[in-house]
Amino acid sequence: MRCSTHLVLFATLVTGTAWAQDVAVSTTTIAQAWKQDTPGISKNLTPATEYVGIDATKLGGKDALSFHFYGWGMADLADQSYIGGKSTGDFTYGYVQYDFSKANAQLKAGRFTVNQGVGNEQVDGLSARTDLRGGFTASAFAGAPVTFRNYGNQDQSVIASQRNFMYGGRLAWHAAKVGEIGVDFLQDGTSPTTQMAPTATSAVYTRKLVGLDMKLTPWTFVDFSGRTVLDIAPTVAPAPGVNVSRLAEDDYNLTFKLAQNLSLSGSFVERNLFAYFSGSTLPTLFNQNEAGMFKATGAKATWLPVADLQVVGDVRRTDRESLGTTTRAGVDARYNLSASHVLFGVGYHNVNAFQVAAVDITTPAYSISHSEARAWIMAERGALSASLDGMRLHYSDADVNPNLNGKAFESAIVGSLGYRPKSNLKVSGDLTFQDSPIFGKQTIVLGRLEYRFGTAGKGDK
Amino acid sequence: MLKKFALLSVALGLGLMVACSWISPKGSFAPTHPQALEQGRPTCSDCHGTDRVASTDKTFASFNHTQEFISNHKIQANQDPATCAACHAQSFCADCHGGKTAMLPSAKLGNRPDRESPHRGDYLTMHRIDGKVDPTSCFKCHGRSNNEKCTACHK
Repeated sequence: MRCSTHLVLFATLVTGTAWAQDVAVSTTTIAQAWKQDTPGISKNLTPATEYVGIDATKLGGKDALSFHFYGWGMADLADQSYIGGKSTGDFTYGYVQYDFSKANAQLKAGRFTVNQGVGNEQVDGLSARTDLRGGFTASAFAGAPVTFRNYGNQDQSVIASQRNFMYGGRLAWHAAKVGEIGVDFLQDGTSPTTQMAPTATSAVYTRKLVGLDMKLTPWTFVDFSGRTVLDIAPTVAPAPGVNVSRLAEDDYNLTFKLAQNLSLSGSFVERNLFAYFSGSTLPTLFNQNEAGMFKATGAKATWLPVADLQVVGDVRRTDRESLGTTTRAGVDARYNLSASHVLFGVGYHNVNAFQVAAVDITTPAYSISHSEARAWIMAERGALSASLDGMRLHYSDADVNPNLNGKAFESAIVGSLGYRPKSNLKVSGDLTFQDSPIFGKQTIVLGRLEYRFGTAGKGDK
Repeated sequence: MLKKFALLSVALGLGLMVACSWISPKGSFAPTHPQALEQGRPTCSDCHGTDRVASTDKTFASFNHTQEFISNHKIQANQDPATCAACHAQSFCADCHGGKTAMLPSAKLGNRPDRESPHRGDYLTMHRIDGKVDPTSCFKCHGRSNNEKCTACHK
């Protein structure tokens, strides 16, 4: 980010908070320490991280005007732990917002995350939304995308034509006692550019998507939601064998509430990699020219046998055209002893991937089947809190899978103790024991200080 | 030139007047939930019963934070983030969906095992399996911006 941008943001921050009648500031300081030993590399890692959030409302005495900021900075006190340097940070968002008293109308200016239809983007720009007569809702945004480092971490200025500006909009309609359906549009970049794939490719694109989203609850016992996204960017002929369908995604979920304590849901997902990976900044992993479709169907049953106990059974079958079929099935349960402020959960899942083809032609075929087990408990008594979280994975084919270093198990236990001397101050410490195929045995110490002042209403939610 | 400007101004003015007449006269959704909620996943229908949100006609029950809702919250968040904002600050979303994160969400929230934090454990081993089974699930967060760490190996 340019120096002038920093100055403008700092000035906005100072003036914004100075005009506010209610200011809430939340900070979280986290210090970690652990020793990392992998073959050939030994590191002492002690990163310290500071998160800061500010919510200033009633700016200039106006109820509707507010300012919001969130960011973090990190520094390594010993060896480097983060990619790119021993100190880094992020300005996640900082915007002025105006909420109108009618029509859910809202204006935002600054850095914010756009969540509308097909867009889930971090931008420096403007956004607006309002409800219209007749059940319609309109929203739009425009601005410069914040992060889009391309392959090889090339700077934005190297590929100036790419992602210098993006905009999008959504028009939705809600039918009385049925729900909402919307159409969305997003364009990223004002002129075509290449995907910058590692292998020579002439795939030219401007990221351009249209979508249809819906959430329908015609009766209280039915909930149908999902979306379809199409890639409509101009493109050249893809590589042989690539599915040229412009359907990027179908993602739908249907839930029936059969009784007060029992619901069943089914899900269907399909994604065409050519269209879905359009606009990737990491083509080594998400290459448009990788042939294939991904499909998944799933079912889930949620049962509350007693008020504070929730049991969820689920099964999901995924099919990746180029590799094969995987089935994941299992059960999770969580119990809330609200009277004694104790919450605990257990879960077990088995992932059967025996139908997956050889994943690496340079090594003998191996299975990626595995099982996952987890149990956790957390409790709060007065100013004290504690939690314990354990997980264990069991991998198949540890002797053949070259990524497991002959180790069939991975486990982690996290214990945490906390003390809240005041309602706005909490100190906690975590101790993690990990044993994994890549890093072996590790002990990680973490200290956490959370402090809030002002009238924070939503800070920890 | 002046005539063109005047015509354009009149057209813009008329356009704005027409657009304003389209705006719904209904009151906005409460920016903050009027009552403080207890810790844990709320069941909105406990208080709101079978009522519907006036502005969207969705049932309050459809916002109950059940396991299905947690798994599929993206549709609700994309359609109407104002309903989320009644209880959640945007930093709540940034715990997992930040464009750049300082540490794994499960490490930052190590004292909150009840949160559905992705990537527990060291995850480095497991990501090789998840990536083969379903690379599209990685793409959602790491395909476009949050991939600084990925490029260390996947050059």
